[in-house]
Amino acid sequence: MPDRARWCVITAVAGLLWFFSTGLAAAAPAPQTVPEPPSDGCITCHRNLGGRLAAPALKIADDIHVRRGFTCTACHGGDAKAPGMEAMDPKRGFVGRPKPADLPAVCGKCHSSPEIMRRFNPRIPTDEVARFQTSVHGQKLSAGDQRVATCTSCHGVHPILAVTDSRSPVFPSSVPATCARCHADAAYMKPYGIPITQYAEYKTSVHGEALLGRGSKQAPACNDCHGNHGAVPPGVDSVANVCAQCHGSQRDLFTRSPHRAAFESMGLPQCTACHGNHQISRPSDEMVGTSPPAVCAQCHQADSKGGVAAKVIRTALEDLKQSTAAAGDLVARAENAGMDMSDAKLPLSDARTQLILARNLAHGLSLREVQSATSEGVGLSRKAADLGRAGLAEIEFRRRGLVAALVVIAVLSLGLYLKTRTTPGP
Amino acid sequence: MVRQPLRVTRRSLADLLLAAGLAGLAGTVLYPLVRYLIPPKVKEVTAGSIVAAKVGDLPPNSGKILLFGGKPAILVHTSQGTYKAFTAVCTHLACTVQYRPDFGHIWCACHDGHFDLNGQVIGGPPPRPLAEFTVTVKGTEIVVTRPA
Repeated sequence: MPDRARWCVITAVAGLLWFFSTGLAAAAPAPQTVPEPPSDGCITCHRNLGGRLAAPALKIADDIHVRRGFTCTACHGGDAKAPGMEAMDPKRGFVGRPKPADLPAVCGKCHSSPEIMRRFNPRIPTDEVARFQTSVHGQKLSAGDQRVATCTSCHGVHPILAVTDSRSPVFPSSVPATCARCHADAAYMKPYGIPITQYAEYKTSVHGEALLGRGSKQAPACNDCHGNHGAVPPGVDSVANVCAQCHGSQRDLFTRSPHRAAFESMGLPQCTACHGNHQISRPSDEMVGTSPPAVCAQCHQADSKGGVAAKVIRTALEDLKQSTAAAGDLVARAENAGMDMSDAKLPLSDARTQLILARNLAHGLSLREVQSATSEGVGLSRKAADLGRAGLAEIEFRRRGLVAALVVIAVLSLGLYLKTRTTPGP
Repeated sequence: MVRQPLRVTRRSLADLLLAAGLAGLAGTVLYPLVRYLIPPKVKEVTAGSIVAAKVGDLPPNSGKILLFGGKPAILVHTSQGTYKAFTAVCTHLACTVQYRPDFGHIWCACHDGHFDLNGQVIGGPPPRPLAEFTVTVKGTEIVVTRPA
């Protein structure tokens, strides 16, 4: 190869290598940068101390406060600019590690101040400490119990992460496990005499499956029913309102039902009397009726007025359920056989809507309303069933048509055969 | 009058069979043609777009449920005069949602779920927003299209 050609090849190869190397570098995602901790006296010294004294300084870079420009002294006091141990001189405001009883006040220095908080997040509430004081945790802390949860028990410390950070112990899907650290600990809870089964029950509940199993952030965690900073068990008369944060229509129906007054007089906790609290399972039609597992049977005899009403509601629901299932089966069979059953799907969908609506209306205990919804649903499912039957009949007709066409072809073939046999040759 | 016995020859039988076969063949050809020319009772709605309504059919601040791709969809004519379309299947328990003129947004009767006119959940138990379809006005027709 001549020198000139050789140089051309070398230049082209080098150019290609340069192009791909720079192109790939540009296309590659930028490496994640780990934020450097601020360099102040506290962190500089503590990073080199090793063990538990170094741990806070090594992890502090992720702290939401540090990211917003706060330093150790904001919580611990002292003077980070002082060169040695005098940085931790109480005369310089050093408070060291705050005691649990002091934590609400330490955090509240900023978090209870609207003026300070609006500089960082105007939407953040500033009543956390006030609400904490009303909580069971806060009241016990005020009474001298140092074992109860305070701010850092739930939010963590070194680093304290933003609630929206999925690593935070108070990220919605982490809340149940965070509460369970104490509330599922038999030894820790022993002095309080409260159950420790809540977390295990919650995990198997419809809410737990949604939040922990499917990651649905709409599903409630502990704090959505109990409150977070002002955590208390919901009172008997507030249960429906707590559930109504999501299940508003059921609350409205319940509050105008005869059950409301009856439950009040019996001291029963509204929704949870039938649905349970932590272990709320997916509701089923079997919950309505006069024999177990129907929850109505807890209070109503089968021949009582309530028992008869329960039976009527259950019968109406079952009728619609069976009618809808039968219609769905017909439509599915016709569709699987190749028929376009689009027109049947709208009434079928509406029939299913009526079934779900009727199940909800059962909370109001109005037989007229439930039966009105189920009657409409049965009518719609019959319409869908008729369309399904028509689809199946059309398939049958087409099959017979195919047989008829084959017979015609056979007759024609036979006729042609005989004709050719009887036609004299040339 | 002497009655002639009916004599069926092979030729006449062949003619008969041929005539019957041809008649049947004509029937089997013509019947599907006639069925094709007469509009079928069942509409074809599995396409990616559908004419949901004519301009003027829906007054402002109203909605209409229609079938789109075998599932209920809702076309909304907003108070501002724009058209919006979403799946009408509630993301909670798959009830068919409806437009509530008094609320000015989409509502699910089953469990009081509320969706704004972007399909986003604004109240109640639905866990996810309603999927939105594209709406275009072509002449006098309002066409709802499934996004690609």
